[in-house]
Amino acid sequence: MYVTGMGIISALGAGIEQNRMALRAQASGLTTARYLQSRLAAQLPLGEVPFSNTALASMAGITPGTENRLVLLATVALNEALGNRFKAGLVRTGFINATSVGGMADVENMYPDLIDPAIAISNLSAGDSLDCAQGTEILARHFGIRQQVATISTACSSSANAIMYGARLVQAGLLDRVICGGVDTLTRFTLNGFSSLRNTDTGLCKPFDEHRNGLNLGEGAAYLVLESERSLAVTGNRPVGLLAGYHNYNEAFHPTAPSPDGNGAYEAMAGALHKAGLLPAAISYINAHGTATINNDIAEAKAMLRLFGGQLPPFSSTKCYTGHTLAAAGAIEAVFSLLAIVHEELYPALHFDMPMSDAAVTPLLSLTEHRKTDHVLSNSFGFGGNNACLILSRYA
Amino acid sequence: MRETMYIQAARALSAQGELLNDELPVAGIEPVGNVFYFPSIDYSRWFGIMQLRRMSRLTRAGMAVAIETLRDAGIDKPDAIITGTGKGSLGDTEKFMESIRLHEEGTLNPSPFIQSTYNALNGLIGLHYQVDCYNTTYVHRGFSLEHALQDAQLLFRENRAAQALVGSFEEITAEHFGIKQKLGYWKSFPVRADELFHTSTPGSIAGEGCFFFALGKEPGRQPLAELADLRMLFEPSAAELEQEIHAVLADAQLRLPDIDVLVTGRSGDVRHDRYYDQVAALFNDATQLSFKQLSGEFDTAAGFALRMSANILARQQLPAAAHYAGIMHRPVKNLLIYNNYYGVQHAVYLLRQTV
Repeated sequence: MYVTGMGIISALGAGIEQNRMALRAQASGLTTARYLQSRLAAQLPLGEVPFSNTALASMAGITPGTENRLVLLATVALNEALGNRFKAGLVRTGFINATSVGGMADVENMYPDLIDPAIAISNLSAGDSLDCAQGTEILARHFGIRQQVATISTACSSSANAIMYGARLVQAGLLDRVICGGVDTLTRFTLNGFSSLRNTDTGLCKPFDEHRNGLNLGEGAAYLVLESERSLAVTGNRPVGLLAGYHNYNEAFHPTAPSPDGNGAYEAMAGALHKAGLLPAAISYINAHGTATINNDIAEAKAMLRLFGGQLPPFSSTKCYTGHTLAAAGAIEAVFSLLAIVHEELYPALHFDMPMSDAAVTPLLSLTEHRKTDHVLSNSFGFGGNNACLILSRYA
Repeated sequence: MRETMYIQAARALSAQGELLNDELPVAGIEPVGNVFYFPSIDYSRWFGIMQLRRMSRLTRAGMAVAIETLRDAGIDKPDAIITGTGKGSLGDTEKFMESIRLHEEGTLNPSPFIQSTYNALNGLIGLHYQVDCYNTTYVHRGFSLEHALQDAQLLFRENRAAQALVGSFEEITAEHFGIKQKLGYWKSFPVRADELFHTSTPGSIAGEGCFFFALGKEPGRQPLAELADLRMLFEPSAAELEQEIHAVLADAQLRLPDIDVLVTGRSGDVRHDRYYDQVAALFNDATQLSFKQLSGEFDTAAGFALRMSANILARQQLPAAAHYAGIMHRPVKNLLIYNNYYGVQHAVYLLRQTV
């Protein structure tokens, strides 16, 4: 499966270039949020996209005030992924989106009015965005996509599952080309949700560190364009990389926590390797899920140690740059994985001091350049035990 | 997508109550304030008191229906768990939003947040069976159940599963009914079930329900029916819709008169019922059934139609409660479901009698 386009917006900025520069400079996007209206925003560092809705609208080429933040973030990323020559009708093109709370960011601000029978709804589109599909459909219409329009929501693994489903639809011959990825915005809903679970760190998150104390939430959007051989012949697009493997493996252990031995993570990674026809030794770099929660990192580290043994490749979690962008994370990290392959550079962990006593693994600590990177494993693990892994590979 | 799957079992909880594997819907159930609610049933048959305390209304309903579906199909461990839902556990979403406001983002109970997660039910079903497997959730209004079914088709084609539990779950709350009332989803005056198709006004009546299907690559012990084809169309033109229906028939080597029963999702909404009239006009010889006078309208109402249709084919009986037009023909060999959700997501299902 060929990857012929990618686009991204995150706390690191809009577009691939801004994101790559921040990663190379080891400059985290985690800071105090300016736009999210939440009491917790003063206490918790967040990976907020550093633009107002007005600025995003102008960036996206959309009339300000007409679209919600979810759609704005996604449009900026999609514009980049598709380029300005994009024509949806050229080949059979689908759109598989992912989000965990859809239009919640805007809905939660207008909710008291929405549920007051005495107040009429002036903006019907915004009033109807308390779900995941509405944003996807606004985007599908905007880009003229008519076939296989879908939204997936499996918490933090959502966009990895969207990329997987998109690839399978192309594989099955239902589509020639598919745009897949995910988007999530910061909301009071999710921020309070993760805080109520005591999963948020009041400091900067420290993935895989002995003294890690939870995650920092973030927001963003990223999309990949996947094409079949047949599609390439028509579109003339040049591949930037390959989607070589993927696997979804749900672990029945606990509604919100992985098993301590990381069996679900292990099976998801092993399944993706199997699908790609690769041995563990072929993996050049792992973009870990690494949320910096107590439970995830120990489970993920144990799973990596079990799968790779003494030959653990360089790994890092880029959530210390972007925050945990939930449904967008899988796609954002797939883009980072492709950047590592294309530019032959690996992005280091931040805020790491001490390996975990129960599973001592040390993430990559400095920028690695001129490192031929053939295959990158990208992990996404979510609530409900939903584990999804992707393998991105070098094209020729 | 064209890929034959066998519906090995199908259970539901809807306004019709708990529908056992082979039951057909009956008439006489009326909406309450333009809503078809599913009733509360005795969940202690499935869960302990402590367990029930942690489960919300939709989680209980969805779990119970999923468990019974797998029991009917004789499946101990599903190879895949795939669901579709428009709004997920809406009551939990509302509860958590309210609690954020009430406590001004103070110390909150995380339970409603966890259960509001769209894939929470999937995870709980996996936990109940202690089964580690493929598991995903589609959340796309009138395509939610359809993508879940299509995903199962793909898994079968990829030889990654021999059977799968696929289902949908939806609830309506008073609060959300009110929002949608303002958005024009519902009729502005109370209607009885038998009036739904006769008011020539916009809007429909609300519904909710859980529908689960045990699907197999092979027929299994006693399949209800074959799901031979499933197509989705996003905002099609009238011509595109008609073209797709012709394509479904052509691919199955069927002619228009071969369709014995047409099940339409007509909702009594004058803005969207024209699509159903257009499709019905293609099938003059078929018995035409409708179901939203029994289920109400919701994102995953197609689950009601799919379960009913599978049972029509299994029992070779046509439920009078669903009759819309035409003579009640039998035998029923080929059945087409056509549904759209507010004119945006359109789905066509071809079901065939298992021979």
